[in-house]
Amino acid sequence: MDLYDLGRVPALDSQLLYHALADLGREGLFLLSPATPYVCVGYHQDAAREVDLAFCRERGIPVYRREVGGGAVYLDGGQVFFQLVLRRDDPRIPASRDAFYRRFLEPVVRVYRRMGVAAEYKPVNDIVAGARKVSGSGVGEIGEGLVFVGNVILDFDYRTMARVLNVPDEKFRDKVFKTLEENLSTVGRELGSERAAAWTPERVRGLLAEEFARLVGPLVPREVDPALRAKVEALRPVFASESWLLARRGRGRGREIRIRSGLHLLRRVHKAKGGLLRADFALLEGKLQEVSLSGDFFCYPPDGVERLAETLEGALPAEAASRIEDFLARQGIEIPGVAAADWAALFTP
Amino acid sequence: MEIEGYLMPDELYYEKDHYWVRDEGEFLVMGMDDFAQKLAGKIVFVQLPEPGKRLEAGKRFAKVESGKWLGKINAPVSGELAAVNEELEENPGLVNEDCYGKGWMYRIRPDDKAGLARLIHGPEAVRAWLTADIAKFAKP
Repeated sequence: MDLYDLGRVPALDSQLLYHALADLGREGLFLLSPATPYVCVGYHQDAAREVDLAFCRERGIPVYRREVGGGAVYLDGGQVFFQLVLRRDDPRIPASRDAFYRRFLEPVVRVYRRMGVAAEYKPVNDIVAGARKVSGSGVGEIGEGLVFVGNVILDFDYRTMARVLNVPDEKFRDKVFKTLEENLSTVGRELGSERAAAWTPERVRGLLAEEFARLVGPLVPREVDPALRAKVEALRPVFASESWLLARRGRGRGREIRIRSGLHLLRRVHKAKGGLLRADFALLEGKLQEVSLSGDFFCYPPDGVERLAETLEGALPAEAASRIEDFLARQGIEIPGVAAADWAALFTP
Repeated sequence: MEIEGYLMPDELYYEKDHYWVRDEGEFLVMGMDDFAQKLAGKIVFVQLPEPGKRLEAGKRFAKVESGKWLGKINAPVSGELAAVNEELEENPGLVNEDCYGKGWMYRIRPDDKAGLARLIHGPEAVRAWLTADIAKFAKP
């Protein structure tokens, strides 16, 4: 298989190259980092809704859309990316998606271990060190190809990641920042800065090439050839266009930010007769955590809503309706124009 | 008909990537079959192209995303996209809840019905195909 060990490449090219190779129906492995930071949204995301586009424009951080799913991510030179392009009929691709990730994340787990990070594969597609995620990945079917993309995170700019996202308010942003910091780790944090300094992006690319070769067979280093370059240039105007970036492919209610597999931060809103209701909460392994309720309704006694939130801790979203109903009936809390069903609507899966 | 826990209604036609097609006279309705929706896990997005789009049998015309995978949807027959299930924009999880009912995806006006003959149909053919796929997908 062809190996494109490219080092630092212009930000947009770090997306275009693998899309182009897949479109050409060729196979290969790209190892690279973006020369300058950028934000990348998932295929179906509404960029204007997910990302603070005004902030990014002001700071000169470009925003692109990829033909791979998942959420908005912040990419910079502190991360080394692998982008494996396979033909969809490649016999090395297991039929099941879980089996695909298990097999193709193995080289990445081994790279982390060789660096000294006690990394483990966590189904379906996470690599963790202890409880923290240390690498992200995704798969997209593009053209006749199947692309598997992911990263080795040497260093991560948590502050900027939390800043580029569009969030309902600064309190929610702070929550995103803290949750990211608690749940996403880096080689630097795991090894300490002194030991981590030995692992330059170049050495990490070398490890990735060695470990992927054990899975896909010998890798032959090559340059970006004229046919691939021509395809990249053909895709460039599309990927650089506002219409591609701002295409609205999906809607949703409220905001949901995936921190890692099994941990999401949500803001939901619901309009009740008596006013607007808002819920901020985390979903940890499917259960409600850190529920906070607010809005512009009237409640007596005043701490009623706070206590209502407490009763929801640890509940499954499907249990929320009955817990809310029980609590409101038992406690005699009055919230004119807001029924138990209105609160429950905030938590329906 | 139920095959190893997967519901596969007899009257439907199946495309090899696990999309079903129902013959409704002038139109064909399609969606994801029970095997595919269980395998995919929670569906988070179904692309809904503009009705009127020209479809070519076997060619990609939309995408579907589960949490970990962005997959392609190929047209089962040639024809024109007549309607899409708008409900899926707000609630793509309908595909998981009711893949043969409320979770339908597209309504197609086929060029002709001859294309249906290329799909998998009938209890025997469906059983043979699905059983083989179940074995294939169980491989590590």
